[in-house]
Amino acid sequence: MSAAIEITNLTYRYHDGTEALRGVSFQIEPGECVALLGPNGSGKSTLLLHLNGILPDESSANGAVKLFGESIRANNLEKIRRQVGLLFQDPDDQLFCPTVHEDIAFGPQQLGLTESEVEARVAKSLLQVGLEKFGSRATHHLSHGEKRRVCLAGVLACEPSVLVLDEPTSDLDPRGRREFKSLLREISATKLIATHDLELAVELCSRAIVLDKGQVVADGPTVELLNDEALMLAHGLERPHILRHIHPH
Amino acid sequence: MSSRWLNPHHGFPDSPVHRLPTGLKLSVALVVIIGTALVPWRMSGWFAGVAVLLGVTVLFSRLPAIFLAKRILVLSPFVSGVALMNALQPAGRADWREIATRSALCLFAVILVSNTTPFSKILRALKAVRVPGLLITTIALMHRYLFVLGDEAERMRRARMSRTFSRGRRFQWRAMSTVVGQLFVRASERAERIYHAMCARGWK
Amino acid sequence: MHIPDGFIDGKTAAITAALSAIGLGFALNQVKRELPPRKIPLLGLSAAFLFAAQMVNFPIAGGTSGHLIGGALIAALLGPGAAVVVVATVLIVQCFLFADGGVMALGANIFNMAILDSVSGYVIYRLVSRFLPGLRGRVTAIAFAGWCSVVLASIGCAGQLAWSGTVAWSAGFPAMTSVHMLIGIGEALISALVLLAIERTRPEMTAQIEADRPKRGNQVTRYGLLATLGIAIFVAPFACSWPDGLEQVAAKFGFGLKAVSHTVPALAPDYHAPGIHWAVGATAIAGALGSLVVFGLAIFLGRMLVPVKSSERPAN
Repeated sequence: MSAAIEITNLTYRYHDGTEALRGVSFQIEPGECVALLGPNGSGKSTLLLHLNGILPDESSANGAVKLFGESIRANNLEKIRRQVGLLFQDPDDQLFCPTVHEDIAFGPQQLGLTESEVEARVAKSLLQVGLEKFGSRATHHLSHGEKRRVCLAGVLACEPSVLVLDEPTSDLDPRGRREFKSLLREISATKLIATHDLELAVELCSRAIVLDKGQVVADGPTVELLNDEALMLAHGLERPHILRHIHPH
Repeated sequence: MSSRWLNPHHGFPDSPVHRLPTGLKLSVALVVIIGTALVPWRMSGWFAGVAVLLGVTVLFSRLPAIFLAKRILVLSPFVSGVALMNALQPAGRADWREIATRSALCLFAVILVSNTTPFSKILRALKAVRVPGLLITTIALMHRYLFVLGDEAERMRRARMSRTFSRGRRFQWRAMSTVVGQLFVRASERAERIYHAMCARGWK
Repeated sequence: MHIPDGFIDGKTAAITAALSAIGLGFALNQVKRELPPRKIPLLGLSAAFLFAAQMVNFPIAGGTSGHLIGGALIAALLGPGAAVVVVATVLIVQCFLFADGGVMALGANIFNMAILDSVSGYVIYRLVSRFLPGLRGRVTAIAFAGWCSVVLASIGCAGQLAWSGTVAWSAGFPAMTSVHMLIGIGEALISALVLLAIERTRPEMTAQIEADRPKRGNQVTRYGLLATLGIAIFVAPFACSWPDGLEQVAAKFGFGLKAVSHTVPALAPDYHAPGIHWAVGATAIAGALGSLVVFGLAIFLGRMLVPVKSSERPAN
């Protein structure tokens, strides 16, 4: 069985020439939950945008990114985007419809589902994120936490097999973070989570990849990596408190 | 700058008027507005009738009266301007009292509808009358992001003002124009990200 | 300049609505054909930007402050078609959501601010920046375009008010135009500063905008024709009073001008009332002279804001 995500020697330069990604390679198996860690500016967001073909800029990809064994090309973008759900860093960028219902319905509608199928998906997604009564609410009136959950619902409504999340718990208060973490735990898709929230990484992800200056500098079991204080400090991270008090048996 | 003014709907109170079908509200409002603007002044029955209709609707809508009164005041510069210019140079049928009454009634009608109808329903009504899709998308996106950009502008303005120690107008103008320029840059970048988000969910 | 309901009559509302619908139709078609898909959200976001930008206060004196109107600026940044769509969107939302501007008057407001203001702003900006190169030239261009666009829109507005019999041309034109010649100075200054701010933080953005611009310029002609038609309908009838007005000004200053006889079209009311036609003539002269003065000031502004070194950068 082919890997869910296979990245081989991925490179990317910004318009002004600076290298964002320098030969990134890794594989993620179906069902895995992997944390993508790294300091600001390490290229995490840029990497994630390659996973559903948004980058490189609609020019033909060089085969560096494969999803379930298939290379991302200009002519299979639609199929890829059905399989990969991307949750953006700023929920305001993703929540572009006037009401919650319309926004969650957007994905299923683009997929060409019938009206009743769309309704069913919207209802199911709202239930999944615990926002059953929110369908008619205006998107600009939601709290930050609610916006993040609606964005998740909008992505889940497309029933992707791979879920890619960019900083899903940033700007959330502690309760919001707890709620979101438990939501993510329930989802069975393959997950790649870029995050600064090291506790989230320890609690949800069995494996972690550390990115710094566009290169993979570490790839292994989360607890092992995060316990390596020298490694953490060298790459703008730190050993999280949660590990200082846990002794894995 | 008050972004508080940008939030005319603090939550959506419910009332019989809120629950009326959008199509009905919009059609009645349109008839009221066109009629009130065009009906000859001597047909005072029309104006009295409209005033009563609007008054009754206000009562049923549970909208705060002070809020409505403040919105009407917006008209005062226009009405005084016309009154002044007509004092200097009288013309046609323009009696400032007539103009004030017509415009106040029309304004009332618009305020009532816009404050008792969610914007998404208004958009759907526009779609139903075949307004071009591109225009509707643009209006929808403008409405969606107007509060977001308004908040961004307010935050930038406050940040700028915190660092502007000179009270001189020159500095303030420079500071405010940087805020506006930055706002455009951020709006463009956000537009790009929204495009990516739309593509990510299958938009073609 | 948002005309409320009740200030213009049925025929004016109908004609301006028709002109605006046609102009907006052109603009939507042009945008659909020429705007790359990735820029479609930019239309909505630019409208939100314009709205938010109009709320930023620029202190003048005492408690008063001015603000950007932005028709010319947005046209310089996005092109005429997109600007018409963006400004029309702002006006529509302001009308329905904030009751800023009347529903029946929407046609007039869109004609004045989306078509007259933006398109004239665009044309003047392109013209001036073609002859005055570099960043300095563009700053000068946007300043002059900002002023002219605001004044032109106010003339359209005065014409519509006069056509409706609400305010006599001989009072409305001088009053509105002179006020907007002052407001226009603020607009010129703010537009210049904002364009400069964008250029300074993100020069590649303005370069990208230049690069994305479609090569065919003839699209502007249709808007130009529409605008000219509107001016012809609403302003030209009153222009007949200008010779009369000019004559009165001349008499005041002691030159003898041959009396110019003219016929008054039946549609437009008012001008037989005796009185201040000299104000109309004086305003017309002030406007003509004013535009020369403002152009000079715009050049001076360009020089002041853009030091010599930057203007030597390669431009459009």
